[in-house]
Amino acid sequence: MEITGSLATIGYGLAAIGPGIGVGLIFGMGVQAIARQPEARGMLQTQMIFGFAVVEALAILGFVLALIQQ
Amino acid sequence: MHSAAQEEGCHIFNDFGCGFQAPTTELFFPAPWVEFGLPGTSGITKYLLVLIVATLVSMAFWYFTTRNPKVVPTRAQSVAELFVAFVRDQITRNTMGKAGDKYIPLMVTLFIFIFTMNVMGLIPGLQLPVTSNLAFPAVLALFIYLLWNAVGIRRHGVGAHFKARMVPAGVPGYLLPVVVPIEAISNFVIRPFTHAVRLFAVMFAGHLLLAVFAAAGFYMFNPMSPMGPVLGGVSVLYSGIALFGFLVFTVFELFIMAVQAYVFVLLASVYIGEAMEGAH
Repeated sequence: MEITGSLATIGYGLAAIGPGIGVGLIFGMGVQAIARQPEARGMLQTQMIFGFAVVEALAILGFVLALIQQ
Repeated sequence: MHSAAQEEGCHIFNDFGCGFQAPTTELFFPAPWVEFGLPGTSGITKYLLVLIVATLVSMAFWYFTTRNPKVVPTRAQSVAELFVAFVRDQITRNTMGKAGDKYIPLMVTLFIFIFTMNVMGLIPGLQLPVTSNLAFPAVLALFIYLLWNAVGIRRHGVGAHFKARMVPAGVPGYLLPVVVPIEAISNFVIRPFTHAVRLFAVMFAGHLLLAVFAAAGFYMFNPMSPMGPVLGGVSVLYSGIALFGFLVFTVFELFIMAVQAYVFVLLASVYIGEAMEGAH
């Protein structure tokens, strides 16, 4: 069987696994924390989005590498 | 064969065997209108036009909402105040405290400007998010990078500023040769890079996704199929599904555009806040 296409796409898929788990953990824990302490919602949301942005950077690096490796 | 297919319009269930051509990244390299011939430049392209439109729209927004401010806000003014209050309560107060209030104008302007540049990808006729070209987010990220370094150096001096960013508190001495290079690279190289590339990559991928949906919907629309009216009807059904997906993803993309503008501004104020704070 012959498979054609860019191997970099598979690399991007692998690079997205870790950030996927991380983003899930961040938002899951964040929602739990808001449920336990609704009055801290504003601060928790800011921290959630910040953590999400930092974790997401790994997936974005993978995406960019997949595009430049053509 | 292939040229004949393109002349007649390539659609599903055709009888000359042409396949679906997905849109490529050439979408983001429009043909330049004026070329300077300098290496590493793209000349004047559609991006400049869309950027000018986005700038004028965001300037007009502030002009028409705040040209005649009143104590009891008019309807337009209260929209502008909504944005300012949102940025103050959700972004600057949480990351910089009361001392960050002087950065609210910058952050609100950045938010509106980036959001307008992103939304240009959905305006019919323009349909090109300015931020899908790395050059534009890179300049904004470079500006924020210079700003937080300047803020830190002015507050704490050159030595204390770089020490605070490179030497985390509470790290034992024998680990410093490992920690300091990691911190230096992550704070001074990776950080501005990801700050710019995050916005770029998300807008790039989102716009490409919408383009694939639109192109697929057009490809699958073939009611005059030579293979008979039944397959022609099926192709219209397929095309309808693609159109529905396109509309759903357009709404989703609008949400992503707002979130990315928010994330960019949030990170900018986190960086400035850290620089103001100095060492922990």
